[in-house]
Amino acid sequence: MGRISRRSFIERTGALAAATTLPTLKLRGAAQQVDDQPADPAPTTRITLRVNGETHELEVEDRWTLAEVLRDHLGLTGTKVGCDRGECGACTVRLDGTTVYSCSQLAVWADGRAVSTVEGLADGDQLNALQQRFVAHDGPQCGFCTAGQLMSASALLDDTPNPTRDQVREGLVGNICRCSNYNRYVEAVLDGASADAPSARALTTVGALTPRIDAPERVTGRARYTGDVRLPGMLYARVLRSPHPHARVRRVDTRPAERLPGVRAVISRNTCDVVWTSGDSRNDRFLFNDPVRFVGDPVAAVAAVDRHTAEEALEAIVVDYEPLNFVLDPEEALRPGAVEIQPGGNLSPRGRGVREPEVYERGDLDAGFAASDVVLEDAFTSKHINNAQLEPRVSVARWDGDRLTVWTPTQGISNCQRDLARDLDLPPADVRVVCEYMGGGFGNKNQCQDSDLIAAVLARETGSAVKLEYTRKEDFLGVHGRWPTRQYYRVGATRDGTLQAIELRGYSGLGPHRKSSGGIAGIELFRCPNVRRVVHPTYTNMTVSANFRGPAYPQGVWGIESMMDQMAHELEIDPVAFHLKNVSRAYLDETPYTSWALPECIARGAEIFGWASRWRRAGAGDVAVRRGVGMATGAFSARTGRSSAVLRLDGDGHLWVHVGVTDIGTGAKTTMALLAAEAMEMRLDDVSVVWGDTDRCPYSVGESGSRTTVQTGDAVLAAAADLRQQLVVQGPPRGDAVLVAEATTNPRIEGMARYASAAHFVELEVDVAVGHVRVVRYVAVHESGRILNPLTSASQVKGGVTIGIGMALHEELRYDRATGIPVNPGYYGARVMTHLDTPEIEVHFVEPEDAYGPYGAKAIGEPPIIPVVAAIGNAIFNATGRRLHELPFSRDRILEALA
Amino acid sequence: MRRFAHVSPDSVAAATAALREARAAPVGGGSDLLGMIKDNLVAPDRLVRLTELSGLDAVASQGDGGVRIGGMITLSALSRHPVIGERYAVLADAAGSVGTPQIRNTGTLAGNLTQRPWCWYFRQGFPCYKHGGSRCFSRTGENQFNAILGGGPSYIVHPSDTAPALVALDAQIHIVGDTGDRWLPIREFFVLPSEDVTRENILRPGEIVTELELPPHTGTHSAYTKVTDREAWTHAVVSTAVVLTLDGDGVCRSAGVVLGGVAPIPWRVEPVERLLVGQRMTPELAAAAGAAAVEGARALARNRYKIALVSETLRRSLLSLA
Repeated sequence: MGRISRRSFIERTGALAAATTLPTLKLRGAAQQVDDQPADPAPTTRITLRVNGETHELEVEDRWTLAEVLRDHLGLTGTKVGCDRGECGACTVRLDGTTVYSCSQLAVWADGRAVSTVEGLADGDQLNALQQRFVAHDGPQCGFCTAGQLMSASALLDDTPNPTRDQVREGLVGNICRCSNYNRYVEAVLDGASADAPSARALTTVGALTPRIDAPERVTGRARYTGDVRLPGMLYARVLRSPHPHARVRRVDTRPAERLPGVRAVISRNTCDVVWTSGDSRNDRFLFNDPVRFVGDPVAAVAAVDRHTAEEALEAIVVDYEPLNFVLDPEEALRPGAVEIQPGGNLSPRGRGVREPEVYERGDLDAGFAASDVVLEDAFTSKHINNAQLEPRVSVARWDGDRLTVWTPTQGISNCQRDLARDLDLPPADVRVVCEYMGGGFGNKNQCQDSDLIAAVLARETGSAVKLEYTRKEDFLGVHGRWPTRQYYRVGATRDGTLQAIELRGYSGLGPHRKSSGGIAGIELFRCPNVRRVVHPTYTNMTVSANFRGPAYPQGVWGIESMMDQMAHELEIDPVAFHLKNVSRAYLDETPYTSWALPECIARGAEIFGWASRWRRAGAGDVAVRRGVGMATGAFSARTGRSSAVLRLDGDGHLWVHVGVTDIGTGAKTTMALLAAEAMEMRLDDVSVVWGDTDRCPYSVGESGSRTTVQTGDAVLAAAADLRQQLVVQGPPRGDAVLVAEATTNPRIEGMARYASAAHFVELEVDVAVGHVRVVRYVAVHESGRILNPLTSASQVKGGVTIGIGMALHEELRYDRATGIPVNPGYYGARVMTHLDTPEIEVHFVEPEDAYGPYGAKAIGEPPIIPVVAAIGNAIFNATGRRLHELPFSRDRILEALA
Repeated sequence: MRRFAHVSPDSVAAATAALREARAAPVGGGSDLLGMIKDNLVAPDRLVRLTELSGLDAVASQGDGGVRIGGMITLSALSRHPVIGERYAVLADAAGSVGTPQIRNTGTLAGNLTQRPWCWYFRQGFPCYKHGGSRCFSRTGENQFNAILGGGPSYIVHPSDTAPALVALDAQIHIVGDTGDRWLPIREFFVLPSEDVTRENILRPGEIVTELELPPHTGTHSAYTKVTDREAWTHAVVSTAVVLTLDGDGVCRSAGVVLGGVAPIPWRVEPVERLLVGQRMTPELAAAAGAAAVEGARALARNRYKIALVSETLRRSLLSLA
């Protein structure tokens, strides 16, 4: 077999075009010659299942799980599989009334029993009362956990019709929501009031509390996610991954796997040198690399008639590795003698080739420290944590002649299309990317993923549609998480509390590939004449690190806000007063903001929280349970940029909004509909959104960096303005006529910076003898310009804060230092937040006028996580007089610090 | 997932016969075993389901005031059973602290007692003693959650919540194999790694746990306290199971005190029990008991905090029961 490369794709494409117009072509002979029936078939049993009142007779393999049978064999895909290990709860169904994890039940165990799934809740199109409350209270964000939450809630309410808040949290505790919309789910079950108020500046539609337009799809199980896609003749693929953190691949022998019955294709570096461009912006990252550079680096992939056969085939592949030295810590990786992970060294180059750290400076640092009365030095270490979105990576690829369609959970169908076309050397028009619904991402579903490319290559090789599913462990190790950092600070201030100098020397661990900036952000929150920041984005042999909500900020803000809190303490100044004196008034003390309300957020938050009466200077108390308060700030770019929209008004008065969004759980579709309805002065019910398909939607900026509302929203408004103009000129369309308006916008903001900001206040208790932290109260005050939908915006804040609490208190991917192998991938190991870990989050908005963005709206997705770790760290210091320097603030670290 | 056959015998005799076959594995609720199969940590050819065996999922009061509990009772049923809640609160609490409602709805008492270790290294398939290898990776590795008592050569901690409760209650355990059956005190059920590093209990291939018997404990005060590093859905960092018989004057007549999460087996602390008997609870006595409980504890590099933590947890539990 020839090599599969960009070049060979071109050649084959040409050859195929000449040879045939058949939609699918088998390029390989060998594997297809083998009889598909295994010589020794897996044991099966005949069972009867009663599912939602309907009886099914089935012949099942004994190893099939109930989830698998429901989804793959009965087509009931409302039940999701998030971890396949009973660690997440997405697969919860009821078996004879009681809730079970259907991923951890064999189908044979359900023989003769009654199974209830989410599909059985609604009566036709009529949602049941609980589903209606889930919609009204904005329960589902991405919706991937929603079926499980509903099944647990149904069981709880059958047992306990009027539960208390704690009973709800305990009843639903077996269901993780990584969007962390726990507050909303509890509200929905209780049908209780929410603290949220409508926007202070509501227009007609914009500014009102509006349930998501697609929530009914998400609470009924009708929403189709990528894993729910089934195509005729579809094969299943699995990836073999490196068990070594760094090793030469001497030899990969795929022949034993190829000989297995049911195996259709095996690809490896032997046969495939496709480069995954968006996997590394500095080096060539192949789909299969030699050397392998982290535990989980792909080595080979198999396509077979079913997933079990594919998994069995992985075990038959023989790989001869030559282990190499490895390094996990970024500082160690830069020391002389450290093993070189990428050619040219472990400091990731700026652009291609310039091997220097990233440096930012203003003023004269030495003069600043000389002018300071107090100079503090300290160091902070943050950890790699996984995005852990509920929906694991899955890609379905199909070739129709020379045209590729990829169904994939992506945060940007346009970016994904562009990347796939580039990496496979196809015209973009020959690549179609579809993402109907997706189960969260928080940054690790940006662009295209290697799974999309591997599925596409396997589909090409086999001539069949291919579904590639990653297990939860693969998703933890094979995709990416937040980059770990070490941050060394020196901060100087005068006695009156005025900052004079800030110095940061930082190291961030990228893993072996540069997939994102590796930045350490947060210094820009403060006004200071003399600043120097040097950051070393560094290659290591840990799993790849890249974007995870608020990418560069939560860890950086923890560092700098800890320094500020300490400085306020040393100077005996109230941290709120210290902040009001020192927070930024112009971006980098240079560029004015279009609007800026961080000082107002701080003042408002302090008032709501009752800071003046709760704060006292930190000190070592002698009571067993010590209360403390802490605060911290954050900001995130809300810049304008390029995006597009197409609006079509039909003769019957219905408006179609074509936008290339996928809605990762933020409510993007709903926001686009709201904007169009407002601009057109129409009812929301008369507006439909067409989304998630590059064949049907124009370019949209990816749903990352909190850009969709501002950038695609601007395009919607511009198209709406055009449409209104047409209406004035031509009048409304009649009968079969339509009016169409399109806009590609890229508003420039000259000489100004545009930022959203937030101030968070937390009160907590530290039970010092047992190292336990309990968050008692959390107040988040956000400025995101005009709030288009206070319901979904507050949900974004609640979720971001909750993920941040997990980052502060629990989460860490731990590595065995001796072997370089991560030891705790998964929801259980990583201690992802549950219902019972989540406090009530109070959300408040400050809404200044802003001349840019749709009706003045700014970013809201990224900001909420930014101040959280810092606020909690500062509150622990306030409670105990001890500052922790390593994340997470877990029980063992707290006890060690207090010992 | 590797292939296997599934059988669901309808009698204990049929089950033990089925388990005599090579590479057969008993399965109760299945949460643990299926995960291990999916992770390629074990590869049975045949699963022998025990949950359909009749009569093994009930709580039956005995003539002497004790109770018999079927090994296949679910943790949900056990935690909610009125007799268990009233007379053996420590066991109801322990069962109710396991995992989540979904796990408790299928997980069985026998399965909870016989689940394999949750040491990171074991679960990630490191070639450790428990997988037939010749070293314990946790001893010098990420050992935040590993043993401070009774460790060596393996430093796993026993993961069961119900096990410390049953030991504190002086339960008897019924084991049935194809060559016969036996009752024994549950404390003799668990095996230290220094005795046999490959196993956590004395079950031989083909043997299953069918029943447990609790002695009458009238007038008992008992509690299970579980310390975790998130609020639910995880194993104990440390735990304590305490069963006290107090007379009318509050004087302790008998005591069962067992630590969980600290040793490869449920760790009964007899010096603490002796310290308590004949005494009325005071803050000083509780503190002394907490200190005595960790005598001889030896920390690994990253789990020193567990010594003070379990000591304090026991102190608080004792005070709360007084």
